[in-house]
Parts: sequence; structure tokens; C-alpha cells
Amino acid sequence: MEVEIDEKDLKAAGAEAFFDGGRRGVRIHGWLIETRRNSILNSSTIQQWEQKLETSHLPEMVFGENTLVLKHLTSGTKIHFNAFDALSGWKQEALPPVEVPAAAKWKFRCKPSEQVILDYDYTFTTPYCGSGTIEIDKDLNGREVSEETRNLKWEDCKEQIDVAALSSKEPILFYDEVVLYEDELADNGVSLLTVKVRVMPSSWFLLLRFWLRVDGVLIRLRETRMHCVFGGSTNPIILRESCWRESTFQDLSAKGHPFDSAVYNDDPSIISQRLPIIMQKTQKLVIPS
Amino acid sequence: MSDLDRQIEQLKRCEPLKESEVKALCLKAIEILVEESNVQRVDAPVTICGDIHGQFYDMKELFKVGGDCPKTNYLFLGDFVDRGFYSVETFLLLLALKVRYPDRITLIRGNHESRQITQVYGFYDECLRKYGSVNVWRYCTDIFDYLSLSALIENKIFSVHGGLSPAISTLDQIRTIDRKQEVPHDGAMCDLLWSDPEDIVDGWGLSPRGAGFLFGGSVVSSFNHSNNIDYICRAHQLVMEGYKWMFNNQIVTVWSAPNYCYRCGNVAAILELDGNLNKQFRVFDAAPQESRGAPVKKPAPDYFL
Repeated sequence: MEVEIDEKDLKAAGAEAFFDGGRRGVRIHGWLIETRRNSILNSSTIQQWEQKLETSHLPEMVFGENTLVLKHLTSGTKIHFNAFDALSGWKQEALPPVEVPAAAKWKFRCKPSEQVILDYDYTFTTPYCGSGTIEIDKDLNGREVSEETRNLKWEDCKEQIDVAALSSKEPILFYDEVVLYEDELADNGVSLLTVKVRVMPSSWFLLLRFWLRVDGVLIRLRETRMHCVFGGSTNPIILRESCWRESTFQDLSAKGHPFDSAVYNDDPSIISQRLPIIMQKTQKLVIPS
Repeated sequence: MSDLDRQIEQLKRCEPLKESEVKALCLKAIEILVEESNVQRVDAPVTICGDIHGQFYDMKELFKVGGDCPKTNYLFLGDFVDRGFYSVETFLLLLALKVRYPDRITLIRGNHESRQITQVYGFYDECLRKYGSVNVWRYCTDIFDYLSLSALIENKIFSVHGGLSPAISTLDQIRTIDRKQEVPHDGAMCDLLWSDPEDIVDGWGLSPRGAGFLFGGSVVSSFNHSNNIDYICRAHQLVMEGYKWMFNNQIVTVWSAPNYCYRCGNVAAILELDGNLNKQFRVFDAAPQESRGAPVKKPAPDYFL
């Protein structure tokens, strides 16, 4: 996604954009924010991932090298998004499979004498809300290798993301969206995990979205938003809100919404209003000095 | 130049036909397709192509690599429409070539050649957008019902969009299907267009969706043996490398939509068989951006919340 960014805006915000092949991003207020994008995994890498994840099924399109990374340089705090960690989450959650409408009829079909019923979660639903570590960089401590010291400490909190501030149309200095994985559910709908980010002079904001539509059966939307306001403070705070919504087509239609799958091809942001919330939480991360 | 030749030239420029022309073309196509068998015989040499999905400019790359029809004899394994931006032009060009050179191009049905699927995955909306009515979608989906279900190359290579069915053990069983209908939700015709080979089962498997068969190596061996065929050639599944053999070269998947959905970065392939059935896979990339006609719009920064 190429977006025209005004050089003057970058300069005024003290930011510096970079673009280097598949890598693009921005440096701003001590943060390095970048995306990388590449092709879907090839067959041999798929096999390696299947072994590592102990599964024999992966989404049809795994953008294994696509990533969004946000790194706070002085503290080594790194928040990043990738398909592998998201699929580890899928493997752990291991939801039972969702039957498609045709399944009812199939129960009465003549079956082959021996039949294996596969029971993995083919929707690739994941509780993933991002990956994070604190990396002590070699430049800082003089060691040869960079060292991952600890995981990030997110704490539950009462604060909420300031939507009003995010609604103000301050210039966008960097914007991108990357797909982490996607599956067409063999033409029974869509399963799509993407993350998008925008960086403004006053803050960065991102949205990780798992979007699932099993035609005629189910719509599931799991979103995680993160917001970090740049400020004078040496300890920036990141707010993270996760919100899971879900509804069956039956419930949607009972509420007077259309039953037609094609209607739900649209932007999940619009459809999300129709879906009841089943889980919501807000957490914060205080970046250590 | 005949009207049909003119229409082919027009479609090759990715310009859709008028609604009345589509109607006339479809009527002619039905006359040809109705005569075809459910297991359409195809002579070698032939070039086999997998899913296209409305990626018109990439199909032009395919013809650059494989040669023009009628000079090259083609077999397309279905899924001409949906997902890409140019399903209308893609399908109409293939159909016009079929009417013009009926013995030099064979089109069989994929699971997307269906009224139900095209209403969800793009072709219906595209027809509505390009013609302002759904008449062209109706003409085309009526044609879909006449498309053959499979092909048999020199009695040795069985070609089908999806795969095998537990209800089918011989080719004669396929020949008896009444195919002139919307793709059903179950039964032999559905399986031929929908099923997939699966490494982790040996015999038959049922998809976790509760509908859709998966078949393993021993199913393929016994089908190939009892029908005296060398191997099965099918499409239906995206393969990053363009083609993929399974079960000791008893079945091959051919995928012909490069950079699928304009973002996967995969290559595509076609399988060329010479007069002696010697195989050569030709791998190709997506059409370069600048040859795609319509410029790609740069999205504005999105103030998502």
C-alpha cells in the first residue's frame, strides 16, 4: 500500500521515513516502526512450519515473512506481529470445528467403508494479540549477540484508548497494512488475519484483526488495538484493547439482519456493530526506562 | 473478418462484449457443449491449465507461454471466474475460443462455475457492475450447467477440477451423471468438483467442515489401476510452485493463477503434453504491473479506528 506522505509533515514531526525493498517504515520519537512483506510460504517452508507447530494443516496462504515491528530503541521493547506466533495461538486454542450448512445433508450420505474424520479447527481462529519481548541490543551492552531478556508485562487497567484523539485528522506519517494469513475455507467463507498501523505526529495506533466468515453459519471478529502517545515522559505507555465479537447467521437474521453471505463481504468495521461482544479487556504496558 | 473473430480480438484487448453478443455467443456455445461427454475425450498434444479466477492479464501471460489457441490445443480445468477483476472478459474469451475452435480447446467445470458460488465470490457483482443488469451472469451461469465434468487424454490421463468421489470407481459411472444442473451440495458431481487429495489419510477422509471428501494415496492407486490410467491431473488448490505431485506421481495439481488475488506472490504453471504424452511444466509469473491496463489506485491513508 503506497501512500503519499508529505515530507514537510515528517520533518515537522521530527520523523524520518525509510524504504528499502520489502522493508518500509519510520523512525519517530525513539521508535522504529516498520513493516515487511513478502510472498506466501513455499512448499518446503510449509513443511517446516507444520513440523514446528505439530500440525498437518496450515492456512492456504501464509505470509510467513510479513510482519509489523514497533521497537522502542532505548528500552529495547519490541512489539511485533507475525503469522507463526498467531498460528501457535491457533494450535493452542484448538477450537472444535464448525460445520458448514451442507454438513447436515452429508450426514445422510453413503459413506465409504472406512473414513477418517478430520477435526482440526479449519477456521484458524487465534487468540493472538501480538508478540513482544525486551531485547538488550549489542550496541547498548557491548556483547556480541543481542539477548532477549524477558517478556513484556501487560497489566489490566481501567484506562481506555482515546478514540476522540484518534479521530482528529492529524497527518499520517506512516501507514501500512500487512496480511499475516488467509484461508478461503475451500470456498465456504474467509479467514483472514491482518494488522495495520498508522503513525501520526502525536502517537502510533495499530489494529490487529482476525476476521472469519463461515458462510451461512458464523461470523467472528477478534480485534486488538494498541495506542501509544508520544510524550515528554521517558516511560511511554501502550494501551492495548482486545475485543472479540461473534454471531451466528441465525442470530443475525433473527435480529433482522440479512442472512445472505455476500452482504458480509464488506468491511468488517461496518459489520462489527451488528455483532455482540463476547470478550473485552484493556491492558497497559509501561515501557521501562 | 467474421463477427466471432472480431469479438475474439476485442476480448483479447480485455474489452467485454455487448449483452446481445454475449447472449448469441452463449446460444452457440450450448450447441457445442451439449454434445460433449461428461468424460470428454482429448487428443495429445495438449496443454493443461488450472484455475484462472478472472486474472485476465495473467491468462494472457499463459497464452504467451503456451502459445495461442488454435495453434496450441488447450484443456482448462475450470474456475475461470471469481476473485480476480476480469471474470467476465476471461470467461467470454475462453468461451468465444471454444465456439470458434471447438476441437482445439476443452473447458471443464470448476466449483466456481456455479450460481451459488459466483454470488458470493465476485462474478455476479462484476456482471452487475459492468452491464448494469444480471442478464450476462444468467447467460454465463446457464452455460456453466453444460460444461463437461472431466476429460480423458489419450485414455491415459484423467483430468478433473477437484478430485475423486467415493461414489465413483469407474469412468463409466461419471458418464452416466446428468450434469445439466447447478452443482449439487453432495453426490458424485459435487465431489468431482470439490474434493482434495490429502497426505494424512490413505483412504477416504471427511473435511472438518462436515462436507467435502479428502482422498489418500490408496484411493488414487486403485482408481488409476482400475481405469487403466497413468495419473490424474487436477487443479482447485493453490500451489506456490505452480504444480505439485502427490502419492508417487499418481496425481498432480496444476495451478495457473500467478500472484493469486494479486498478493500471494506465487508462480503459476501449465502442463504441456506432447504427442507421446511426454510432460513439460511451464512455469510463469504474473503480468507486469504496467501491462495491466487500469492503473492501480494508491489508497489514501486510512484513519481506521
